[in-house]
Order: sequence, then structure tokens, then C-alpha cells
Amino acid sequence: MGRLISRRLLTAIPTLLAIIILSFVLMRVAPGGPFDGERPLAPEVRAALEAAYGLDKSLPEQVWLYLTRLAQGDFGPSMVYRDFTVGGLIAEALPVSLLIGGCALVLASLLGISTGLWAALRAGKWQDEVLMLGATLLTALPTFVTGPLLALIFGLWLGWLPVSGQNDGWNWLVLPVIALALPVTGAVAKLARAGLAGELGSDHIRAARARGIAPLTILRRHALRPALVPVASYLGPAAAALLTGAVVIETVFGLPGLGRYFVQGALNRDYPLVLGVVTLYAGLIILFNLFADLIYGWLDPRMREG
Amino acid sequence: MKPALFLVALIALVALLVPPLLPYDHISIDWDSVRVGLFSDGHLLGTDDLGRDRLARLLVGTRVTLSVALAAALVALVIGVAWGAIAGWVGGRVDEAMMRIVDGLYALPFMFVVILLMVVFGRSILLVFLGIGFVEWLTMARVVRGQVIALKQRPFILAAEAAGSPARATLWRHILPNVAGVAVAYLMLTVPHVVMIESFLSFLGLGVQEPLTSLGILVNEGAEEMDMNPAALLLPGGVLVLLIASLTVAGERFRDRLADAAK
Repeated sequence: MGRLISRRLLTAIPTLLAIIILSFVLMRVAPGGPFDGERPLAPEVRAALEAAYGLDKSLPEQVWLYLTRLAQGDFGPSMVYRDFTVGGLIAEALPVSLLIGGCALVLASLLGISTGLWAALRAGKWQDEVLMLGATLLTALPTFVTGPLLALIFGLWLGWLPVSGQNDGWNWLVLPVIALALPVTGAVAKLARAGLAGELGSDHIRAARARGIAPLTILRRHALRPALVPVASYLGPAAAALLTGAVVIETVFGLPGLGRYFVQGALNRDYPLVLGVVTLYAGLIILFNLFADLIYGWLDPRMREG
Repeated sequence: MKPALFLVALIALVALLVPPLLPYDHISIDWDSVRVGLFSDGHLLGTDDLGRDRLARLLVGTRVTLSVALAAALVALVIGVAWGAIAGWVGGRVDEAMMRIVDGLYALPFMFVVILLMVVFGRSILLVFLGIGFVEWLTMARVVRGQVIALKQRPFILAAEAAGSPARATLWRHILPNVAGVAVAYLMLTVPHVVMIESFLSFLGLGVQEPLTSLGILVNEGAEEMDMNPAALLLPGGVLVLLIASLTVAGERFRDRLADAAK
């Protein structure tokens, strides 16, 4: 397992480098820059600003400078939010995003897996049909539709929950987390159902049944682990879906998370901010894929260390 | 599958055929009735704050969303089938290298690259679907590769080779037609995905630009005035969800049917 982790972390380095360089070049070939404002700056001021941020150097030099700084954990200064470092902005925003994303992931897994398993036990019956149609409908719910809709119903009409911003309590979390978790719940439920339904028809389960083992014991000891393999392999894409969904959710609910910085940063041409957020997202997704593989190996020993 | 496909066809037909019959188009402003409610002054769904007919905007938006999705899915289809067929057909090191690239790309947070692309290249509608298409071909490539590898071992391919059919002809005449079913199934599953991405980008203001409109833009506008006029959010949101759901159901049923037939 140690070898798997170290190998995967090593192969993550070129992936990260590729995405950093790609985003770096993309941002720079874009027309416009961080110092374009309503009023054009005096040429000397502009030149001084560009020199201060290293924008006067050649592109390869800038990339190299950025990478060496990044290796020391320095994301550089924000070019639009003056006096803020990107590291500081991220440190402020990351906990919000992680809290929303983490809660949504836990909610979606619990709800999705239990629904999916139940549907598989009722396979072919009407409960199964209804639940799976519901799961498909859930996956079809974009966060930018459910977010405003939930805010409308539970925030504005019923007045039960706050619709925007954070507060000292916990109830500001409810609507964003639900909106974010819904599509992932549907996907997880479908995968869990397919996994268990396939497993229940397999030979080793039939053999266990023939030996007269109690149905619940069969489920718990023989069917459950292999049935969850498809769910585990979905964890990586789920993390990506939650991160992108969070961009919308943070915009809709006015939460100070990473996604908003990303969109704002891209629109303002705040190069270091966008790069920092992209790097962080890529790192998170790579970590999640690794985590998914570890769970995968735990669920199905044949998958270990291939 | 049938009712889902019927629903999609119905929505597409209405979006395509009805707008020319309406007394208003999606951009002209009716100065006498700005921001009127449902069923007033000849506007079935009322008008928005600029006095544009909501029904016309809804239909045109649906049309734009659907056409962007179809175009992007076709881009994904072409890249994915070509990539997967070559990797599966050639095999060996080439296959290994090509599939490694696909695995690597899967790990990237692609939505963010697309967002960057949109910001960088001025958000033209052409770029919207090219960009999405370039992101969505990965699954298609994997599926097609698997299918080609399975086909390669079948006796009729061996027979074709034994009869002296050149590789290119075998690929075109015998392999690709047999891949078509699976490719269409995944094309059907790609379309709802692209619908989602396109509206997501438009919602953030990075996709389709005014005066053109799309379901994502309409949902965004609707979200801003939902406290006064919930229909402005519910109608485009409802059409969007209905489209994505029925496309997904149709695609999944088609894929499952193919899998059953293969057994």
C-alpha cells in the first residue's frame, strides 16, 4: 500500500505540472490583463507594476519563477485584491469549500448507498423501478436550478432557512449542501444498485445461499463489499463534480469559497489567484482518485497493486 | 426508452417550429408591455424587464442549448471514435500510450480548463461547443477501444483478413459499422451531459452571449427575479431538467438494450 501511495504521488507531479503550465499559458495568451481599468494607467506606472509582478519577463522565465516559488509553498501575491497573497485568500476560502463539499459528499454517500442497496434487494419490483427513475431524475438536476429553487421554497416562501451568506449557526449550510448533494446522490444510488444486483446473481452468493446462511449475513459478509466497488470507482469523478458544483453553489448562496475566487479571478485576469485555485483543485482531485483506489483495493483485494 | 425519446423529440420540434409562428421574436422589445405577467397583452408567458417575449426566449433558448449540445457531442463522437478505434486496432505500445493519455486527462479538473478557455477566447458560441467537445470524448474513446479489441478477435475479421482485405478496408467496412451501436448509445449519453455543461457555463455568464439566449442564461435571469416571478425560474429550469432527464433515460435504456443483445 505504501508503494502504491508513493508511486501515485510521484506520477501526480507531471500531471500537476502539465495543468499548471497549460493554465499559465492559456491565461497569458488571453487579451486583457489585471491592470486594465476604466482609466488607462500612465505608461510608467504600468511598466513599474508589471515589473513588480514579473510580467515583463519572458513566458518560460515566468513559468519557471512561478514553479520555484510554488515548490516553496508560495502561491504569490494576488494582482487584483491588492495587499492579499493568494495563499492567504485560499487559506480563508478553502475551509468553507471543504465544509460544504465534505458534508455534501457524506450526505450523498449515505443516502445514495442505502437507497441503492434497498432498490437492489427489491430488484424488478415497483419500488426498484420508482427509486431508479427517481435517481435518474436526481442526476438530471443541475445545481444552478436546484440551488435557486431551494432558496425560493425554503428561504423566501417558507422562511425556514437563510438564503445567502454565512451565520454563526449551522443552518446556512443546509440548502447549499442539499443542492450540491442531490445529483451525486442519484449517481451513487444507481451505482450501488447495479453493484449489489449484479453481486446477488453471482455464483458465490448462490453457493452461500445453498449452504443455508441467513440472508442478512450473506448481504453483510459476502455481497456488500464487492457490491460497493462501482461506488468507490465513482469517488474521483464525484469529487470533481462537487468541486465544480460548488462554483455555482457558492455564487448562488453568496458564500466566500474557492469557486467564487476562481470565477472572479478568471474574469479579472488575476493570474496568480486562478493558477493557485486550479493547482489546488487538481491536487484535490488527484488525492481523491488515490483515496478511491485505496478504498477500491480494500473492497476488492484482486485490485490491489496491479 | 420510447416515451423519453418522444418527449425529447417533442421539445426539440416545438423549439424548432413554433418561434417563427409567434408574433414576437426573442430580441425585439415591446415598449407597451414591459415586465407583464402570464397571459397578458398577447404574451403567453409575459415579458421580461426589457419587454422581450418570454415564450420566444424560452423556445429560442431551448433551441440554442440543444444545438450547442448536439454539435459538441458530435465533436466528442468524432474525436472519441477515431482515438478509440486507432488505439484498439493498432494495439501494443501505441494503445498503451494513447490510453495512458486518456487516463491522465480523466484526472484533470476539466471544467476549469473549459472555464479558462471561455474567458480567454472571447466566448464565441463556436468555441463553447468545441471546448466542451474536447472535454467529453474520453469516455467515448474508452468504450470504442474496448469494442474494437473485442471485435478484432471475432472470426469474421480473421476471415476478412484471410481473404486479403487491406487493414483500412477492414476497419471501415467491418469494424466501424459494428462499433456504431455503442457509439450511438454513448452519443445519446453525452448529449445530456453537454446540455448540463453548456447551461452551467451560460449560467456563470461564460457561455452563450446576449442577444442570443440559452436555458442556462434564462435560469440565471430567472434566479434573479424569482421572488417576484417564480415562473421565470421554474419554466426554463423545468425544461432543462426534463430535457436532461429524458435524454439520460433514453441513452441508458438504449445502452442496456445493446448490452442485453450482446449477451
